[in-house]
Amino acid sequence: MNKKRTPAKKTSRKRTAKPQAKKSLWRSFGVFLLKLTLIGAVIGSIGLIYLDAQIRQQFEGKRWALPAKVFARPLELYSGLAISTKDVKVELAGLGYQLVSKATQPGQAEIAKRRIRVYTRGFEFPDGLERSQKLLLDFKGEQLSRIRNSKGQTVNLARLEPVLIGGIYPQNNEDRDLIRLDEAPTSLTDALISIEDQSYYDHFGVSPKGIARAMWVNLRVGRFVQGGSTLTQQLIKNFYLTSDRTLARKLMEIPMAILLDFHYSKDEILEAYLNEVYLGQEGSRAIHGFGLAAQYYFSQPLQELKLSQVALLAGMVKGPSFYDPRRHPERAKKRRDLVLRVLRDEGKISEDIYQKTIKKSLGVVKQKSLLKGAYPAYLDLVKRQLRESYHEEDLRTEGLRVFTGLNPIVQAKAETALVSTIKSLEKRYGKRAANLEGSMVVTDPQTGEVLSIIGGKSTRYEGFNRALDAVRPIGSLVKPAVYLTALENGYSLVSPLNDEPVSVEMPGGQVWEPQNFDKKSHGVVPLHQALARSYNLSTANLGMSLGVDKVIDTMQKLGVSREMDEYPSLLLGAQGLPAVEVATMYQTIAANGFQMPLRAIRMVTDSQGVELSRYPFNVKQTVSAESVHLLQYAMQEVAREGTARSVYSHLPSNLNVAGKTGTSNDQRDSWFAGFTGSRLAVVWLGRDDNSALPFTGSGGALKVWTAYMKADKPEPFQAPVPEGVEYLWVDKETGYLSDERCQGAIPVPFQNGSKPQYRVDCGVEPVQNSESKPLDWFRRWFRQE
Amino acid sequence: MNFNTQMKLVAIGALVVLTGCTTQGIYNTPIEDRSTTRPQQESNGVVTPVDITTGVTVTPVAPSPVFRPQRGDSTSEENSVGTSVPVAPKVVLQSKQNPAAVALLATARKQTNNGQLRSAQTSLQRAQRIAPKDPEVYYSLADTHRRLGEFLQAEQVALKGVGIAQGQSTKLRRLWQLIASIRTDAGDLEGADKAAAVARRY
Repeated sequence: MNKKRTPAKKTSRKRTAKPQAKKSLWRSFGVFLLKLTLIGAVIGSIGLIYLDAQIRQQFEGKRWALPAKVFARPLELYSGLAISTKDVKVELAGLGYQLVSKATQPGQAEIAKRRIRVYTRGFEFPDGLERSQKLLLDFKGEQLSRIRNSKGQTVNLARLEPVLIGGIYPQNNEDRDLIRLDEAPTSLTDALISIEDQSYYDHFGVSPKGIARAMWVNLRVGRFVQGGSTLTQQLIKNFYLTSDRTLARKLMEIPMAILLDFHYSKDEILEAYLNEVYLGQEGSRAIHGFGLAAQYYFSQPLQELKLSQVALLAGMVKGPSFYDPRRHPERAKKRRDLVLRVLRDEGKISEDIYQKTIKKSLGVVKQKSLLKGAYPAYLDLVKRQLRESYHEEDLRTEGLRVFTGLNPIVQAKAETALVSTIKSLEKRYGKRAANLEGSMVVTDPQTGEVLSIIGGKSTRYEGFNRALDAVRPIGSLVKPAVYLTALENGYSLVSPLNDEPVSVEMPGGQVWEPQNFDKKSHGVVPLHQALARSYNLSTANLGMSLGVDKVIDTMQKLGVSREMDEYPSLLLGAQGLPAVEVATMYQTIAANGFQMPLRAIRMVTDSQGVELSRYPFNVKQTVSAESVHLLQYAMQEVAREGTARSVYSHLPSNLNVAGKTGTSNDQRDSWFAGFTGSRLAVVWLGRDDNSALPFTGSGGALKVWTAYMKADKPEPFQAPVPEGVEYLWVDKETGYLSDERCQGAIPVPFQNGSKPQYRVDCGVEPVQNSESKPLDWFRRWFRQE
Repeated sequence: MNFNTQMKLVAIGALVVLTGCTTQGIYNTPIEDRSTTRPQQESNGVVTPVDITTGVTVTPVAPSPVFRPQRGDSTSEENSVGTSVPVAPKVVLQSKQNPAAVALLATARKQTNNGQLRSAQTSLQRAQRIAPKDPEVYYSLADTHRRLGEFLQAEQVALKGVGIAQGQSTKLRRLWQLIASIRTDAGDLEGADKAAAVARRY
């Protein structure tokens, strides 16, 4: 600066005095200019230093707000697993495996009728690395019978990678899967550099040659066709600057690009570019980076993409919306072929490969086949559980990994059952069943894990989640709680109940007068039958003599946590619950009186896989196993000969289904809740406007339940007899003790000390059922020893 | 039984005899009647129990005899218990331990020995999902909780195992012994004694 100033002074001294006034004007103007330049330079330097600091800070700090990633359960493969080749195919499709005739690289599978060869990708699980390997799976019927590795050795246990089912996105809705530069195929970087910035590895952040060429092209064509921005400039534009097209922004871009290039290596900048670039839009979610784009357009990891796919993605950088291969496939193909042509012209690919590749179709998967976004209802539950222990901001920005229990195979079967049953009901009942809605929850009764949730018949709709938020009267689904209360208070399964009219005067003068579904009373009926046939009068009488408060107490022991009003009508299901809370309640029954919180999340880790929190298997016995065993017996009778007996026209008789139908007042809600050995499902059908349905619980929800179980083929329910319970032969009609050899005798479980006093006479010595002799022979028989 | 009660019973009994002849059983209800071979001589006058709120079960006061024919001497469907019997009570036995579960149990044991209790827990929960009816899984899971000092959960998981192991005495003994040591660790010596006593029964 000083150098410039000195000659200026010298010049002024040499001047003559005559035109001094003029000269002094010039001089002061010059000084002013100099000062201005000086100030400008100082400000410029400060600005540059500030800019430099900013660039470095942002580039070296946390570059992006990373959404939390939510995974489904990984499919565990082991011999004896009940799964069909079709099920495995569903899973592999969700993971984007390519079905080929010879699997030669990860992400490929060969599928035959009874055999699947799968080349797994491997996955870094929180509990260890599952390495990529080639597995040969043999199936026998609907069972995985053997697993072998590529050396032919038997493998006891392997797991596939978990399907990514969704994310919790940052405020700006940017979604991305980060990749490292070495994970990107060389063809991608080649294509990108060839098409966007040929001198990338030679320039210093900006390319004067590129700008000149772009200007020349623009002038020749007469409009703006080329930008001349380097990849570095593009990164600056997206990463640091707003998207407004102002001159100021354009002016900032160049020095920033130079600074960035000065500080960081070409590869570092390229890696950032690969992750930053915008490549598509799905609703409000913005698809950023090639890692995610590979999943979004091809349902495959970036490493597995072929040249044709890579060329398409590289071409799309110029205009992801204009070249959207789903909406404008022809435009996209032209662009892709252009990229390939440039690659050929530069000698990066041979003519032969070029010719072969341009013949390939775009190979973009349908948006619907992507499992991300397919489970809004389940994700909803996951998010609610996460928000109990994490800050919203952390969920949206820290790149947490959330491992859940969602089972995509179960979910697919449940969705099919619900949607197709609703369709057939609408067809059958016409207008009377119009606008039918439904929800469903499926759990594993052994572990308490939630396997599937459906929030409405539009299963991908991310709105009102009926399974969690539609609080609807549960009707007779409440009855097991009433009967369990009785069994906990000295009743037995054969205790006689009065199925006679009852009326209760309510505070306020109203009278509660329930009726049976058939509007008749059935006299005196045994307890188990009253439940199996869902008699309202006997239940109301029983409940009133037990006390509504005691029934509420039982419901709480079963896991219902919300406030309940102590009205007599609760005994017949006036209390509203969402399907997920019904599932909690029935889960305790299925688990022999052990209450376990329904779990959707297994574990949360940070972006590096370090465990942050786990949701372990937690149990607490809240109801005695003996009473629950008796209740399970009666709930199986519901399915054998009660209101749900239609199940066995579709399901195998040895499944031992236990459950209960439910229909609310005026038939506004159709419910079924029930379980087998390995699945518990709760189904609700009804309408959002709460209008009456043309069918009951068994005419609607039960059909969905049955269709699902038929498709899923769960294990039979088998309840080991708890200590303190003995099976006695009882005369079905009278409830008296009987004998195996007497007609009309059935085995019924009793809690110790509650057996019937009297017996029927069929002319045999009463050798069984006597107090002195325990039923050893009987136990042996059932023990199958 | 005091005199008062006896008198009541006699009175009720007399009433029953009077009314009983007209009823079909304690449940005078339209129960499905599958017995096509009901003997004619049957006059089963029975009454419903008077007070169901006392918590006493079936206590007909003075039943007149109910007769039933024997099974086996005709071919009627009554001979078989048939599908109308809701439950076949079973002691559910795992015929063979699942090799995958065995492998995971072994991994968990190794992790436990190395002091990696959380990792062991993860392996065991994986095992539970694969073999939820294997008592061994619950035994190990409960033991891991015990080592972590989570005694309440340890006991509950062990009790869950007891429910699953019904009828398998070796497993039951092991589980009750574990419950005894959990209670000992938790300072509940009386409870520990009780559990140990249960263990000795098997």
